[in-house]
Amino acid sequence: MADPLPVPPAARSVSVTLHGGDLPWRPVSPMLTRVRLITLALAVAPALVVTVVLGVLLTSWALLGAVAVVLVGLWAAWLVARQVSSISWVELDEEIVIRKGRLFRTLVSVPYGRLQYVDIQSGPLARAHGIASCEIHTASPESDGQLPGLPVAEAEALRARLAARGEAQRAGL
Amino acid sequence: MSAEAPDGSGEWRRLHPLSPLLRGGVVLVGLVGYAASQIYENVLSSVGLDVFAPDDGDVEFDDGSSGPGDPVDQALAHPFIALALLAAFLGLVALANWVAWRFARFRVGGGQVELRQGVLFRQHRQVRLERVQAVELSRPLIGRLLGLARVVVQSAGGADSTLTLSYLELGRAEALREHLLDLAGRSDEVALDPSGALARDGAQPRGPSSPVLDAAARPVLEVPNGRLFVATILHGSTIALGLILLLGATAAGVRSVGPLALAGVPAMIPVAIGVAYSRVKQLLVHGNFHLADTGTGVRVQEGLTDLRTTTIPIHRIQALELVQPLWWRRFGWWRLRVNVAGSGSSEEDDHDTTLLPVGTLEEARVVLSLLAPGVPTAAWGAAVLGDGPDGGWQGVSERARPFDPLSYRRNAWTDAAGAVLLRSGRWTRRAVAVPYARIQSLSVRQGWLEGRRGLATVHIVTAPGPVDASLAHLDAHAAEVFLDVIADRARIARRRAEPARPYLAADPPGLVDWVRHPQGSPDTERR
Repeated sequence: MADPLPVPPAARSVSVTLHGGDLPWRPVSPMLTRVRLITLALAVAPALVVTVVLGVLLTSWALLGAVAVVLVGLWAAWLVARQVSSISWVELDEEIVIRKGRLFRTLVSVPYGRLQYVDIQSGPLARAHGIASCEIHTASPESDGQLPGLPVAEAEALRARLAARGEAQRAGL
Repeated sequence: MSAEAPDGSGEWRRLHPLSPLLRGGVVLVGLVGYAASQIYENVLSSVGLDVFAPDDGDVEFDDGSSGPGDPVDQALAHPFIALALLAAFLGLVALANWVAWRFARFRVGGGQVELRQGVLFRQHRQVRLERVQAVELSRPLIGRLLGLARVVVQSAGGADSTLTLSYLELGRAEALREHLLDLAGRSDEVALDPSGALARDGAQPRGPSSPVLDAAARPVLEVPNGRLFVATILHGSTIALGLILLLGATAAGVRSVGPLALAGVPAMIPVAIGVAYSRVKQLLVHGNFHLADTGTGVRVQEGLTDLRTTTIPIHRIQALELVQPLWWRRFGWWRLRVNVAGSGSSEEDDHDTTLLPVGTLEEARVVLSLLAPGVPTAAWGAAVLGDGPDGGWQGVSERARPFDPLSYRRNAWTDAAGAVLLRSGRWTRRAVAVPYARIQSLSVRQGWLEGRRGLATVHIVTAPGPVDASLAHLDAHAAEVFLDVIADRARIARRRAEPARPYLAADPPGLVDWVRHPQGSPDTERR
């Protein structure tokens, strides 16, 4: 294993990159954007109601607050859309790679052989939109293998594939 | 003696009869002592020799215990009734303990360790031998006085994944520990023995470290307590505290701010106590540190009051780290810590993860050569002291300079045989090795500022522990290359490593689905 690297690292061309690359990266379901936007709206709505009511009843200055809430909400909505569209994943021969974020990018590579178990979760809202999140667990809780917003059928299929490959490539701790 | 017919014979065994006494011992002794002193006092006062209440200082006391009127009090006040009650209480406690002891049994065999205990609330805990991560011996002070020890079997899992056999005679505990380690750390064929019992004589492929196991552990090094003391004192917290005290003392001499500085004294007291506590704890935990080589792992014996023996199989070590805080540099001291699968991640409990609390580089190298034989010594040398790109070190570039003005030339990684080495830190020098076969997953992260400068941070995830294997602010492309190279190496290492041993010794071996391991398991080939 001590053999020198075939190509000097600086000149090495890599396929898995922070910015994607030519692998068949797969996006998550656009439904995830909708689910997250609904959650956001549910969080913003009370603040909006309170400021509007205050503005109508007490002082119209509070309407300025309402405008601020709307602006923050819109900004958050834009952020959500960008976040969701930046999540993508790809199944390689021996790893699954998950890419997330634009401003703060992360790239997580989890080998199938290290897989301990796979969680599929889906709250009521997500279920209503037919999506689920799939979390890949290794022996370390630090392996952040969370993949949100998969269509339920795809999540199930992914779990089955992961389990099969994990079994086939399983390595000791 | 039980060492001849080991506890691993597959039969249910009992713990040492004194165990319950030791477990609840301190409380019980305290209770009995309190009751005895009460009775003694009552006896004295009933005879009229009230030595304990010469004046009215004990009025409420006398009212409570021997005041007239309340029959219960009167009854209790009578020494013989009280004595009888105490005896009855003791008898009950003894009976309960005896029953608990009768019901607590353990068994080693069939590929697992089992412990049954409890009468009303039964507990049956079993740990599969292939999941055993470490077996340690712990000897609290009272246990040491009575020659008893506790065997703690750790397995991979959450915080409560240990099986504790408390207590056994020392010899028996040691034999059991070695036996378990043999089964857990060694080859499958022993554990796959259908009877579940270990043929101790004969078919032991272990070579030098055979039956007389304790003699087989070769002592490697010990840490002098004097050195440990100095090293423990030389810690960031104590130095900061010392500086603050020095500043305060100087300020107290100046008239204008003197009172203010003195007013700060009470605030410093809890801090000082906290610092002292943590330092003393370090000393107590790591005192009398001895490390021995058992052939398949290392055995650590340490503790000033609570003597613990831990054996860590080499293949359970997930990551290694050599650290030299700035204040140790003058002495050339290093600390060696490891991540061990299954021993938890809390910083507090660093028993099983510190394999050299303080030692010279030479000593550290000796230990490292035992733990990570794949990593050449020269690579370690460059990792702990070197900087610059010589020797195949892939460093961060000039672009990282604003982030790491001091250490940008030192932060680097290299591909040593069998492991990846990371080095970092100009003041606190740090070198981390992660064997390729132990890598759980990899990640590359890029913060906003890093993104602006085209940098990224890489992180190798291993089983949790004190060692953090990450390298900050590589060039983004270099980070991607890192991910690519390391993933590749890990892939090869996983293929070479034996597959997870999926044996279920309780089942006939035929049920084990070897077909699912397309690359073929070494065990099947051997047979």
